[in-house]
Amino acid sequence: MLKAKDYRTDLQPVWCTGCGDFGVLKGLTQALADLQIEPEKLAVISGIGCSSRLPGYVKAYSFNSIHGRALPIATGLKTARPELTTIVVGGDGDGFSIGLGHIPHAVRRNTNLTYIVMDNGIYGLTKGQASPTTDMDSKKSRGLAGADDQPLNPVLLVLSAGCGFVARTHAGNMPHLRAMFREAVEYPGFAFVHVLAGCVTYQPRGYADELLKRSFELPAGYDASSLEQAMGSAHDVRFALGVLYKRPVAVAGATAAGGPGREWNATGDALKQDRPSE
Amino acid sequence: METRTEPTPSSTVPGGASQSIVIAIAGSGGDGVALMGDLLLKMAAHQGLYGMLVQSYGPQIRGGESAVILRVGDREICYEGDDTDLLVCFRASDLKRFRGSIHLHERSVLVMDEKDEGELPEWLGHGGREAYRHPFATFDGGVEVAGDPKNMMALALICRALGWSEALAEAAMRDCFSHKPALVDRNMPTFRKAFARTDVPALASLKGHGVPLFVETGNEAVARGAMAAGLQFFAGYPITPSSEVMETLIEELPEAGGRLVQAEDEISALGMVVGASFGGVPSMTATSGPGLSLMTEMMGLASMAEIPAIIVDCQRAGPATGMPSRTEQSDLFHAVFGGHGDFPRAVLGVFDVVHARDVMFRAFELAENYQLPVLVLSDAYVAQRRQIRDAVVDRRDRPQRHRWSSPADGPTRFSLTIDQPANPFRVPGTPGGTYMAAGIEHTEEGNPSADPVTHQRMSEKRFRKLESIAADTRTWVRTLGRADAPRGIVAWGSMYGVLQEWVAEHPEYRVFMPEIIHPFPLEAFSAWRKGLKDTSTVELSFQGQLHRYMAGLTDMTAVRSIARSGGLPMSKRELAELLAAPAVAATKE
Repeated sequence: MLKAKDYRTDLQPVWCTGCGDFGVLKGLTQALADLQIEPEKLAVISGIGCSSRLPGYVKAYSFNSIHGRALPIATGLKTARPELTTIVVGGDGDGFSIGLGHIPHAVRRNTNLTYIVMDNGIYGLTKGQASPTTDMDSKKSRGLAGADDQPLNPVLLVLSAGCGFVARTHAGNMPHLRAMFREAVEYPGFAFVHVLAGCVTYQPRGYADELLKRSFELPAGYDASSLEQAMGSAHDVRFALGVLYKRPVAVAGATAAGGPGREWNATGDALKQDRPSE
Repeated sequence: METRTEPTPSSTVPGGASQSIVIAIAGSGGDGVALMGDLLLKMAAHQGLYGMLVQSYGPQIRGGESAVILRVGDREICYEGDDTDLLVCFRASDLKRFRGSIHLHERSVLVMDEKDEGELPEWLGHGGREAYRHPFATFDGGVEVAGDPKNMMALALICRALGWSEALAEAAMRDCFSHKPALVDRNMPTFRKAFARTDVPALASLKGHGVPLFVETGNEAVARGAMAAGLQFFAGYPITPSSEVMETLIEELPEAGGRLVQAEDEISALGMVVGASFGGVPSMTATSGPGLSLMTEMMGLASMAEIPAIIVDCQRAGPATGMPSRTEQSDLFHAVFGGHGDFPRAVLGVFDVVHARDVMFRAFELAENYQLPVLVLSDAYVAQRRQIRDAVVDRRDRPQRHRWSSPADGPTRFSLTIDQPANPFRVPGTPGGTYMAAGIEHTEEGNPSADPVTHQRMSEKRFRKLESIAADTRTWVRTLGRADAPRGIVAWGSMYGVLQEWVAEHPEYRVFMPEIIHPFPLEAFSAWRKGLKDTSTVELSFQGQLHRYMAGLTDMTAVRSIARSGGLPMSKRELAELLAAPAVAATKE
């Protein structure tokens, strides 16, 4: 029986005390324990950023790659090795700025990946520049570049690209994180989890609490299978938390390459017989 | 015939086709020029004749004037020839785009439309010889209208000139249109009507050995060579002139049990390859210059994280968009030096379609054995040509990545103390082997490190691979001509075809062609250059990239650099002029 701590390496996170990413790490290892995924059958892939350090702290075949390119690397891995549970993690700069071009394509390919974005609305690793999700007032008041640029709405983005599983959670809410990650990993298709996270160093004091204050739990009777309701919640100026959209599993339609059922000796142990040639 | 993965001894390289014929067909979009070329090549292959076909088209890639140049002969051919023996030209005005590609000699046969009074360009060198006329075009009130297919008529006349039978032509057509037999039935009467003309001037007769041969493009050979070497995952993005690598694999890789993704861009394409290969699966991408530029950061990642990755670059004339359909050898610097930071990679060059298979096998061998990116430099001239080749039997000893299975295979993924050039690869799924691959500098365990000593030691470890590769590949060169010939030419890649024939006609020359560009086979080069009176590098790169690259490795002060930008491949005629020109630099050696 694997416990959450069995998914941790010996490495101590470099994150600042109080960083929201600690919660994500904990929630993720709890979800993995819930699902009893063996570490050697697990791959955690990231690009570059504070949150992209996370793969180093999870016992798995991990890959801390280059800025913005976690999704292509994970897509290649999952396509070639569909039996591996493949989780992509990163931040808002990595995912929504430099790596944004890959998101709609990963969504429409519907490779069975779980993509967790720890969105703290700032470039932390490079010390506090505006990210695509930094709000305009904050940019203005702090003199950051792009004060007149609209922030990006990640949930609306992935929904409009056709993502089959979209959830939002808050880095301070452990049981919720755990539940969202569990459901996302179990979903047989591309799953996106938007994590509202604080940055204790480059966001104002109380920023994480502010995010929580602006959040609300989805009301009873919310129909997650309704794209219309999901779009509505995405447009809300407040942050709806929970599974915002879940295309029914029966029609989730993960690509054949990434899904179960197709015989595929990926590691090439048996290269079968040699191909006859002309 | 075995796949040739050992260098062919120079003395056994055939000295060019003993007998060959060059046919050029020029037309406009819709004339079916390309199809005609394909059919003729098929017919040649069927008789056991060798040959190659190149197509010339404008920057628009589709539509506009187009021409094919086809050379057939009784020996393997990888150079299109200098002078055209038979030119079919539907409109004299179509010719103007093909300056430098088509040149007639005094006995050439010229076939033109009966009513075409257009003037032939001076550079064509037709010498005022009377053209053989045929009513290709149909007119209505002085305006050309759609009529019987011109290409069928021309095909019939060419068959007459070559002495090839109607049955041979029909078989080739049926083979080409096996899915549309009615089309052949519809076209044969047009063919027969023209074939009835018995007054077509005859060309020299060619005798094939009678064993049917195979037609393959450079891009197909790259794709199939990769599959034969164990390719299981491909990701790519369409780009001229490499797209047919992906197209061939779309048809053939899944069927053979592999997987393929068309990526959203080249960054993603190489990213997927790195991801799949991280998963233990032999993987490759193919692109051209602009794509290689986008892949450069990912190349560094593959090298840093010690992940095998094959990148085929079908070079085109650059920079930026350049001339996408035209050939050049100007990505050498980028392949050898491109990227930030210090990282090892290997670079191989493709001579021709037959060689492409060997090169792919070697690329996988190096990538899988040494866990680094391997670049294969092809070019538009090789990639897009169709060449007739012998049958090949693929090697069975496919490269196998050395895998970690227990701590006995080394305690850590990036151990510094291991006595082999690459650490056993930890394939995901292997119990007890979890680790983190990283683009960030890392410790032996794979954990991030900013320690300068670690960086130095890890760099040393990674670069030791190049020393081992250099030792493994010191014979990966091909030399042409007599070893004691006084004049030397150093070249690489698709220059092979023209040089092979050059040396056969000019015994005073010897040629050195590295099959591996980086690490450069320096020892073989030093041995080869002994006793030379003068030496030149010959390449299609404005800057003379090969010459400059070699100057960083060995003394090149006495070696003349013959370099021009690409566009058209080098012809024997041009080579003669360039080599005869007075050398600017000293030529003593």
